[in-house]
Amino acid sequence: MERAQDVAGDRERGAGSGYRVSDPRDQTSESRDPTADSRFLSLTDRVVNWARKFSLWPMFFGLSCCFVEEAASFTSRYDLARFGAEVLRPSPRQADLLIVSGTVFKKIAPIVLRLYEQMPEPKWVISMGSCSNSGGMYDVYSVVQGVDQIIPVDVYVPGCPPRPEALLQGLVILQEKISTEKPSRRIFHMAGGTQGTDRPVLVGGATKSRDPRGPGYEGVSIRGVSELPNPPQWGSRSDVMWTPPARRIEFSSGDLSLAAELRERFGQSFSAAPHTSDMLTIEAGPEIVKEVLRYLKFEAKAKYRRLDDLTAIDESARRERIWNKDFAGALTDLGGGLLRLPGSRPVVSAPDFTLVYQLLSFDSASRIRVKCGLHGAYPTAGSVTDIWPSANWYEREVFDMFGIRFEGHPNLSRILMPHWWEGHPLRKDYPGRATEMAPYTAADARMRQPLDAQQLSDTGYRRSEKELDAQGSQLGSISDTRYRTPDLRNEFLLNIGPHHVSTHGLLRCIAELEGEQIRDLELEIGYHHRASEKLGERQTWHQYIPYTDRNDYLAGSSLEFSYVTAVETLADIRVPERAQAIRVLLAELYRLSNHLVWFATFAHDLGAMTPNFYTFAEREMILDIIELITGGRLHAEYLRIGGVAADLPEGWKEAVDHLVKIFPRRLHEYEKLLRKNPIFLARTKGVGRISLEEAMDWGVTGPNLRACGLEWDLRRKFPYSGYENYEFEVPTATEGDCYARYLVRVEELRQSIRIIEQAADQMPSGRCVTEDYRYAIPKRNEMLRDIETLIHHFINVTRGMKIPRGEAYGATEVPRGEHGYYVISDGLGYAYRIRVRGPGFANIQTLPILAAGESIADLISIIGSIDIILPDIDR
Amino acid sequence: MTCSGGFMEPIAQGAMSPFESGVFSLVVYTILVAAFIASQLFLAAWVGEKKQSVEKSRPYECGIIPTGSARFRYPVPFYMVAIFFLIFDVEGAFIFTWAVIYEDAGLAGYAQMAFFIILLLAGLFYIWRQGGLDWKEHKT
Repeated sequence: MERAQDVAGDRERGAGSGYRVSDPRDQTSESRDPTADSRFLSLTDRVVNWARKFSLWPMFFGLSCCFVEEAASFTSRYDLARFGAEVLRPSPRQADLLIVSGTVFKKIAPIVLRLYEQMPEPKWVISMGSCSNSGGMYDVYSVVQGVDQIIPVDVYVPGCPPRPEALLQGLVILQEKISTEKPSRRIFHMAGGTQGTDRPVLVGGATKSRDPRGPGYEGVSIRGVSELPNPPQWGSRSDVMWTPPARRIEFSSGDLSLAAELRERFGQSFSAAPHTSDMLTIEAGPEIVKEVLRYLKFEAKAKYRRLDDLTAIDESARRERIWNKDFAGALTDLGGGLLRLPGSRPVVSAPDFTLVYQLLSFDSASRIRVKCGLHGAYPTAGSVTDIWPSANWYEREVFDMFGIRFEGHPNLSRILMPHWWEGHPLRKDYPGRATEMAPYTAADARMRQPLDAQQLSDTGYRRSEKELDAQGSQLGSISDTRYRTPDLRNEFLLNIGPHHVSTHGLLRCIAELEGEQIRDLELEIGYHHRASEKLGERQTWHQYIPYTDRNDYLAGSSLEFSYVTAVETLADIRVPERAQAIRVLLAELYRLSNHLVWFATFAHDLGAMTPNFYTFAEREMILDIIELITGGRLHAEYLRIGGVAADLPEGWKEAVDHLVKIFPRRLHEYEKLLRKNPIFLARTKGVGRISLEEAMDWGVTGPNLRACGLEWDLRRKFPYSGYENYEFEVPTATEGDCYARYLVRVEELRQSIRIIEQAADQMPSGRCVTEDYRYAIPKRNEMLRDIETLIHHFINVTRGMKIPRGEAYGATEVPRGEHGYYVISDGLGYAYRIRVRGPGFANIQTLPILAAGESIADLISIIGSIDIILPDIDR
Repeated sequence: MTCSGGFMEPIAQGAMSPFESGVFSLVVYTILVAAFIASQLFLAAWVGEKKQSVEKSRPYECGIIPTGSARFRYPVPFYMVAIFFLIFDVEGAFIFTWAVIYEDAGLAGYAQMAFFIILLLAGLFYIWRQGGLDWKEHKT
């Protein structure tokens, strides 16, 4: 038992310690002496093994980041086919090797198990990446701590994510394993013999260690606890650290007049925060908040047309509140001046939850935050779906995560967590770690099936019958003509996803079909919910940076950019010019890299395989430059609060110059493959059209919004990191269809390379991280010079720096649109709450509008043109 | 069975290429082919491990258990297009035949064929106008 646990635990924490293959000693089914086999059987063993190991048919189950590296492994630079494992296939029927790459979520685990069981015999499994091996850095409620808890695994490939070469190595190790098998007896229906995976499925806690630190620490208790209201964190060492107060902005005259306008109209139950770090913030009681929002959208001078974000905060663990309630006496014992109590608000008026609406005005390019306090353990608020249709998903998310109900919502059901889930994970009393919950087992995976399509389609958000009828008459046909008689509704429900090549991740579309035409579409998301908001509440401000990369694994440090911008806004940290330029350089390199993948996959979805092999070559070139600068490929983890991790290395300029020189010509070449291709045009022009009005109402951002004709780019409208100093154009198109989205993105590639050229040419000299070491990890050579810096270094790498109490929203224009972080600090070394505003969540919510009335083939083209990525939808 | 050359005299000398005896080799060939196919079918059916399970015999629908039955009246506009294609494709056979004897058929043949093609075109335009070639209705 002891040994079994060790082996299993060792395997569970396999990352970093090399590859692991099944231990031949464990193959219990090999009971007879192998030498007893006749010469014929030994010969067939050898022939069959030889044939099998060089003709593996891998099927991918791409769950997250790792899949991007897996996909890169069959492109020209790595060429998986050299090893006798041909093109990765999406269906289990023609595959004998399952490569599970990425985070296995509890919601998707039943599907992983099903696809494994649907594969013919014999079959093997490679687990690719730390998440799939052991849960990796995601020891959170929604993640299975290792795929070996549901299916048997032959080879574990460590890494986060492993490079494509690592997968090739894993494949070679599997081939070696296959050559030790004795399949003949099984083939000829005799007793004994081995083939395929013979490993047992592991059980967390029984045959596998559940210690998040790995095996061998049983005697030492785990440090730290999840942030819960009890025990309160009133004795934190952060309290004895002093920081300057949070940033305060000067309100513009527009903001001030708006506040006055609102005060006049709504009177007493309305108040505006006297100073904030980022935008005008008003508080409105639950009884008038809807009126305030309606006023802001339709009547205010600068119309706040877009609902940027809607979320909630669980206020129950606010230290101020706990101090007031339970520790008023205790604190006096601490000796007066040690802890400075913040201004004590009376406990009764402190809300239990705060709803936060963030609005955007296109006219005045300004944002406003509307807060609404709610009281009670499971409070109810009014739904604003009648003001913004996009509020539909946001309110469902708040319900799912906090248990707050919305009156008047058309379909208030869980959205991210599976339907069988109990509890609301973002409440402060909910445990965050998967290892604090019961282990997920294969039996769970058999039982916890996703909801049936019929059920989802019936309960789902349906546009009103009237709207459907109007649409029907617009389509002119399907309701009454030759295909259908009134008494015979030939509707068919088809699941497209979650395991599908063209959904670009774990997205489930339920298409209500009439023939090949989509009558209505229902989306089910949440298969990729990686709890990145909950994680922010237990990681220090710096430790959280690696998690931000993984919220969009094709945009790399662009998301770190959003996060550090938010924290720097809150703490008023000045970033040196050189660091700003390096950030811009990286953000644009990642934009190129992302758009190249998009170009390839979009073309691939439409049946053009060739662009894949071309654009991935340039993408590798860009990743090489990124690797030279940051040391990472997909996940740079290179930005730091106050700057970047290291200065630019030698040789970066030549590499960038080379890229700038060759890229425009290559892009022109690739464009020739598509732009005038009649098939491509027929599949994209006029397909999946959305009007500018709708796009603004639904909160669509990024290239998808610009393809509707609005020149809206954060780099221009809310310049950050010195973008105002670069010359570039914001490309737009007017049609709002798939082709328009294509045109915008391709033009963005050109503009990005312009910015890269300027950033490289005008790279300022100087420091690459702020001098204010209160908020940064000091450079080593400076740390060794004086004691203050040494102390900052010690504190910032151990318990982490303190960020002053307050809140701020920071957003940047990532390849997919506006990606923002709303960070709330309670004056501790980690966030009180982090809210991630992903562009995908809003963009994909429009899919039913885009796809209704189109054919299934067009749906594929539409999904491709929206350019979605699941971790930024489900977070 | 004899297999002499006399038994298998060509039916019309000169009209066809000379045909030498071959029934025996034909029979052997047939038996070999049949045996080969049978062995392939047998090996494919017998060799190898088979495990049946509910999941394995379930249709693959992106990993989700499918909803409802697939046996229902399903509107397939593509089917119409395919049928029309077949019809017009078969007409090609007449036209090619005519092309071979174009000289011999003369003006009368030309006129008949022209009439035939015009009739076909009229049919095509009729179907076109009726919307029989549309796969789907586009959003306006």
